[in-house]
Amino acid sequence: MILLGKIALGIAGTTVAGVSLLCSEGMIQVKVAEKRPDGHHIRVIAPALLLPIGMHFAPKDGLSEASSEIQPWLPTIRAALAKLRECDDFAFVEVNEPGRQVRLAKSGGLLVVDVNDEEESVHVSAPIRAMASAVEELAAAAPPIQR
Amino acid sequence: MPSGVRNPAVLCVLVLALGTVAVAAQKDRYLHIKVDDPAKGENVNVNLPLSMAEKILPTVNKGNLHEGRVTISNEDLDGVDLRAILDAIRTAPDNEFVTVKQHGQDVRVAKSNGNLVVHVREAGEGGHNVDITVPMKVVDALFSTAKKDELDVAAAIRALADAGDTLLVSVRDAAQHVRIWVDSRSSQE
Repeated sequence: MILLGKIALGIAGTTVAGVSLLCSEGMIQVKVAEKRPDGHHIRVIAPALLLPIGMHFAPKDGLSEASSEIQPWLPTIRAALAKLRECDDFAFVEVNEPGRQVRLAKSGGLLVVDVNDEEESVHVSAPIRAMASAVEELAAAAPPIQR
Repeated sequence: MPSGVRNPAVLCVLVLALGTVAVAAQKDRYLHIKVDDPAKGENVNVNLPLSMAEKILPTVNKGNLHEGRVTISNEDLDGVDLRAILDAIRTAPDNEFVTVKQHGQDVRVAKSNGNLVVHVREAGEGGHNVDITVPMKVVDALFSTAKKDELDVAAAIRALADAGDTLLVSVRDAAQHVRIWVDSRSSQE
């Protein structure tokens, strides 16, 4: 009985540790709500850690073109993301026009995009730290320079 | 020691006040851009921490922008020696330097209270009203590079961060109103 208890405790501890690790980078959230009567409501919440891990194991061929394109801008993206993590919360861009509102903001450790128009509303939020990790994974997928 | 300062409560208030000032001094400053088009019911707000712009700008090397500096070609300058004009303005007292009045347009360039001030007024229905106020420190920083054909935008941003709250640009016509300003608030509310 004690042995079973120890095993159960071990499993529970491992599960808690695994979940904690998975959630350590925060969560990526995507919400899409169509406004027509029978419209779809999609809500996806995933651990942000999966983003860089997924990119790490993704086929390099598929990422190499994007990786090559991003290379000249890497210092800029790195500087922007690093500074963004230090900044207070603020809205980068807010666009309001009849029938459409767009907002791109930093909120906590998250980068948040909200688009609300007559047809649907979209909310995407992603931890900045996970985005930085994903960018590094993308950068690493660049094909080697041939001499 | 004055009796008021010996009082612990007063000391606490003093320390708190000094702390607040210190925190305020470290607070990020923001560049705000606001475009309003009341006729169409549209508005665009852009907010950017100056410290972020200062960090990002030197990393961009594309076109005329490199290491936070912009290269201006002679064609852009059209033979105008901007540095000579700036030197003349810098050493001159507060005054109205240039006033150009022609058909439907009134341009005034002046130095006032340590700022370079430009006002453009266009008559007529679609005429633009432009007001530009740039602290001279920012202008100096802009021209602080050794090369004659370069503007140091990164240095200008640093200088702007040290300057007070300033309405830099206001452009108004019949349809739109564009404003660019700097303050220490992260939003435009």
